[in-house]
Amino acid sequence: MKRFLVFVLIVFSIFVSAERLVIKGSNTVFPIAQLWIEEFKKFHPDLQVTLEGAGSSTGIAALFNGTTDIANASRWLKAEEIERMHREGRYFIPFLVGFDGIAVIVNKNLEIEDISIETLKKIYTGEIRYWSQVNPNLPKKRIVVYSRNTASGTYETFENKVLGGARMAPDIRMVESTQLEIENVAKNPYAIAYVGVGYVTEGVKVLKINGVYPTKENVLKGKYPLARPLFMFVDATKGFPEMGSLVFEYIMFAFSKKGQELVEKAGYIAAYGQ
Amino acid sequence: MILVFSGSGIFALFLLMFFLMKEAWPALVEIGGELFTSVYWYPTSEPPEYGMLAMIVGTLLLTSFSSLILLPIGYLIAFFLHTYASNAEKNLIRTTVEFLAGTPSVVMGLFVLSYISPILLRFDIWSTENFLMASIGLILTALPYTVSLSLEALDSVDVSLEESALALGADKFTTTLKITTRAALSGILNAFVLTVNRVVGETMIVLMVGGGAAIIPRSLFDPVKPLTAAIASEIGEVAVDSMHYHVLFAAGVILLAISLTLTGVSRYISGRQTR
Repeated sequence: MKRFLVFVLIVFSIFVSAERLVIKGSNTVFPIAQLWIEEFKKFHPDLQVTLEGAGSSTGIAALFNGTTDIANASRWLKAEEIERMHREGRYFIPFLVGFDGIAVIVNKNLEIEDISIETLKKIYTGEIRYWSQVNPNLPKKRIVVYSRNTASGTYETFENKVLGGARMAPDIRMVESTQLEIENVAKNPYAIAYVGVGYVTEGVKVLKINGVYPTKENVLKGKYPLARPLFMFVDATKGFPEMGSLVFEYIMFAFSKKGQELVEKAGYIAAYGQ
Repeated sequence: MILVFSGSGIFALFLLMFFLMKEAWPALVEIGGELFTSVYWYPTSEPPEYGMLAMIVGTLLLTSFSSLILLPIGYLIAFFLHTYASNAEKNLIRTTVEFLAGTPSVVMGLFVLSYISPILLRFDIWSTENFLMASIGLILTALPYTVSLSLEALDSVDVSLEESALALGADKFTTTLKITTRAALSGILNAFVLTVNRVVGETMIVLMVGGGAAIIPRSLFDPVKPLTAAIASEIGEVAVDSMHYHVLFAAGVILLAISLTLTGVSRYISGRQTR
């Protein structure tokens, strides 16, 4: 018993004395944050970091509850969230850390290179159901359409930019993870899906949208139609994170040359200095 | 002391139900009937629609279809193990089947997804995640429950009862079918209900291989999205206290209601059987 108490005491004291940083939010930003933390820990060897990637909304909700220091988000604040912020007299500040292009992917064996936003809209609203309707040269096969589930930030971006208020057909497969989408598209010759460019693998083919590839340059110049900014939100109700505080250092590190290089390493597009 | 522990179990259950109802309440009050009558599930579009009919029907169809296959198979395995299997066989088969029960459902989902569903492509079936695949996954994970529990029920029947039947000239098959099964009926029905409960609540498999489209499936190869899949897939990124959030809790209430009804039915049946 005595030993146990001593053990608990030691664990507890480590827990208290160590510097702690809690980050929650978007699973799009998650891989970037992971790389940042690995690197950031080199300056702060005894830093304890909690990193969760349950979704942008979860992160922002945690910021409201005060259970996180930083909320990662793959979208801007929703109207309800801004309203709640005003109601509670809170003040969240955004930090733009990078960009994500949404790549439309198909199976490698499908003979198509380019797709227009209009066609994409027709596919996702169920107006077009067969590949032959997209292009007469393609086989007359049912298009197997995949989408991220309705709560995902990627879905929201896609909905805004492609569907423009129209509704997705109910028989579209909503899947939980980007990995699942990619796997399915790699396997199924007649599938189509959309994923963050960072996730694209060798196994699938990225389509040009209105003739533009989701390259870094095209996204930064605003030519690629399906791109979105990635943010970190910090609660600044009690003031901007103090200089020298962990949150401040972490954000500055994210903005640094190394930090922005890691954004690229994670497969996204750096916002600054590249 | 015992009272404290058992009391805390009841307390936990009530707390769970209370919070579930509390979170679901706004949805039930503000949306009401549309929840159960509409098939349009557009929780994030503007204006949103929260029709869960397709998902409720999906849950029920998937559960009944899987159960119709699963329960007879499970009973037959238990039947064989009880009546014909030698001890070694019994051990082997039982352990193997129970090993299935220990397989995490995510692993089962992965297995179905990567080894069974690609077979469909060879038969020119365009959708590889569908009702049938979800059902196969559910059958595999839930089968051990039926087998173990039915076998336990059969084994618990007094041997003298079986011996009497055998002594009167009935063969083994008839004895187990007509005498033992009847004596063990309440246990077997309980096994069935528990299995069905397991099937209703299973989440990961239907999430991974169900296809996730909220439509009422019209063929085995249509995608399906049961309530559990909807909750698991959407709760993660939904804004807390939004209507979407409340509606997902309402889905939880529906699931709980289904499960409680099943348990109630089983209580009622076994109560009648033992009396």
